Amino acid sequence: MTALVLDRVVKRFGDFTAVDDLSFSVPEGGVFGFLGGNGAGKTTSVRMMLDILRPDSGRLEILGRPPARANAPQVGFLPEERGLYRLMTVLDTIIYFGRLKGMSAAAAGRSATALIERLGLGAWAKTTLDKLSKGMSQKVQLATALVNAPRLLILDEPFSGLDPVNQGVLEELVREAAAGGATVIFSTHVMQHAERLSDRLLLLAHGRKVFEGTQAEARAQLPPRLQLTAQADPSRLPGVARAVASGAARDGWQEWDVTLAPRHEAADLLQHCTANGFALRSFDLYRPSLHDVFLHLVGGA
Amino acid sequence: MNRILLVARRDFLQIISTRAFKITLLIVPLMLGLVTFGTSFLRPPPTVAYVIADAGGKVASVIEHRVELDYQRQVMRDLSAYAARWKLPPPEGGEDGYQADDAVVERFIARGGVDGALGRMRPPASATAFKPQPPPYLRVAVPEGVPAAQGVETFGRAIAPYLANDIETPQGKRPLAVAVYVPARGPLRLWTNGRNGNSLIDMIQQERTRLLRLALLTESGVPPAAAARIEAMEAPVAVSAPPTGGGRSQMMVRSIVPLALVYLLLTAALVTGGMMLQGVIEERSNRLLEAVLACVEPRELMIGKLIGLGAVGLTIVAAWIGCALLAAFSIDGAVADYLRPSLAALNQPWMIPVLAFYFFCGYLVLAMLYLTIGSLSNSMQDAQAYLMPVTMSIIVPVFMMMSGVIRNPGSLLPRVMSWIPLYTPFAMLARLGSGVTGVEILGTGLLLVIFLTVELMLLGRVFRASLLNTGQPPKLGAFLKLMLRRN
Repeated sequence: MTALVLDRVVKRFGDFTAVDDLSFSVPEGGVFGFLGGNGAGKTTSVRMMLDILRPDSGRLEILGRPPARANAPQVGFLPEERGLYRLMTVLDTIIYFGRLKGMSAAAAGRSATALIERLGLGAWAKTTLDKLSKGMSQKVQLATALVNAPRLLILDEPFSGLDPVNQGVLEELVREAAAGGATVIFSTHVMQHAERLSDRLLLLAHGRKVFEGTQAEARAQLPPRLQLTAQADPSRLPGVARAVASGAARDGWQEWDVTLAPRHEAADLLQHCTANGFALRSFDLYRPSLHDVFLHLVGGA
Repeated sequence: MNRILLVARRDFLQIISTRAFKITLLIVPLMLGLVTFGTSFLRPPPTVAYVIADAGGKVASVIEHRVELDYQRQVMRDLSAYAARWKLPPPEGGEDGYQADDAVVERFIARGGVDGALGRMRPPASATAFKPQPPPYLRVAVPEGVPAAQGVETFGRAIAPYLANDIETPQGKRPLAVAVYVPARGPLRLWTNGRNGNSLIDMIQQERTRLLRLALLTESGVPPAAAARIEAMEAPVAVSAPPTGGGRSQMMVRSIVPLALVYLLLTAALVTGGMMLQGVIEERSNRLLEAVLACVEPRELMIGKLIGLGAVGLTIVAAWIGCALLAAFSIDGAVADYLRPSLAALNQPWMIPVLAFYFFCGYLVLAMLYLTIGSLSNSMQDAQAYLMPVTMSIIVPVFMMMSGVIRNPGSLLPRVMSWIPLYTPFAMLARLGSGVTGVEILGTGLLLVIFLTVELMLLGRVFRASLLNTGQPPKLGAFLKLMLRRN
């Protein structure tokens, strides 16, 4: 079963097209990264998933149903812009959101208490939120998204504003939710988080999809970067598409940035050099990061 | 509990936990306390004592009788006002105290005074008890040790210390205001404490003058009976007072509760509207609306907030009315004197539902305005730009209308404003005590319901469309577009 389907979805605000003919689907289970720069259309797409905004055309499905508040009992949502009722206590806030999602008072209370303990907020359960630090408030907000043990957890820029320690806590919670069977969709423009968490990902630029697939497939969008130090010019070696000298030669040795031809592996080139006496002092292979892929695909978009 | 009620409950609990709410609750009890406390200063001064040393033995009883007659005349006036307030017959069969001459007052005393009159008037159980004010002057015996038969100077020296202090009376210690020495022959002599008793001195002087004139007439050969008639004669003056059970004062009594409701409506709506405004702005500026809107439809959020605010308003009004009823039925004083007959005037079966209808609709009209302003504003500073014109356009006409109703309930302005839906609740509430037709109630009520429905629909669109906007509040053109946009 698919957790989420977007089919040719378009959303315009006046003359501006925020989401342009966007189609993708997310299977149930796992962590799905929804990547894009500022203004790429991530938040608009998330709002359409939650029925906060309606598309101008196209179709969405959440857990097999059209977006609606009726899905709230099975959905958890952490918005990008965060805030809470300052004068409510931690416990009451989490219970309130649990009840808005259709939980009974008792069930919401039990779940809220467990989450408060899990997030290390036990000492502040009865404290009003205006007395908490920003990091603790964000934990509370995360708890409001998790209180109903959602089948689908949508996190819009979840790591923004968190210090490294709390980012680690959040990553752990995301992994736990996924391990518990939930589908996690999170939007971000910080590629390191996507790299660490997501099984599959989608890259968005100016409202359009520019890539959808696994991390390996994303990296395959860019050829690996090879850097070697040799006495001779490597550009005539088999499988080398291009070799550019970098920096000045020292004692007869020159550094080269080598681009491999399609369908050629760096290991084959290394074997060829060794077998044919092509002198090498260094042979470094750099796999492209998601950041490189992002810049390659989105930077030029 | 459905989502609307959850939103309503949360908003209600949040507002009632604020300091502003608690202060608002105290407004009416404080006002009632101040009125009760303040009017206690307007009460007649306590009784003061006077002594008379009458060498001839003829003047003292005359003065004492005159003091008593004047006091009983004042009691008759107060009793007449009490009778008018409770729609009872006047104390002395048509005489209402204003024009009561000595003969009528004598008759009043002879028929049992206050107790006799109250027995004949039979006030209802709901009426406040009539308490006659205490007599201003009380004659006491000349203190022992003050010689009354050793001449005026001796008397004067002996009484002087008593004038400087209180003197023992049957009612406890009281200031000695006046001491009178009446010699067998020669002029009457008075000593005062300089603080109380001016009216007593005037009274004694007039009474003394009357006796002298009477004696002079008799000495001049006028038969004593004729002399007494001449002396008692007073120029006829007709005093017209509002008829019992009607007139302006009675109209005001009937209008106290409806007029008070106008003030309550205005105050409760403005105060709680301001609280809700702050709440919505907090939700917008804290960016927490998106998380709420993921669970709750904007329409549900709007209705929930209106219900929550309505519950806050009802709590405030219930607390205020409770305090007023407590003051009316448990504490005697000026508040009870006016509130009880005013409440008793709500004797028509349709009055209370009609009052409640206009109050509820008026509250809802204003609450929706405030909710919309909150949804348009990113900060209280933004809200002020809308708030000032909206609030002034309500307060100024309503106060003009109120003063019009108090001057003349049938005047044009209140009647016209009754048909302008924004002002209908205020104008109709204000006029209900002074008489409105059934056609006006039905017509203005229907118009108000239609207005409220259209307001909820159009401003509801603005509310929904503005909730997640983060830019500048819309200008008039954009605002109108939001109202007319269906989706």
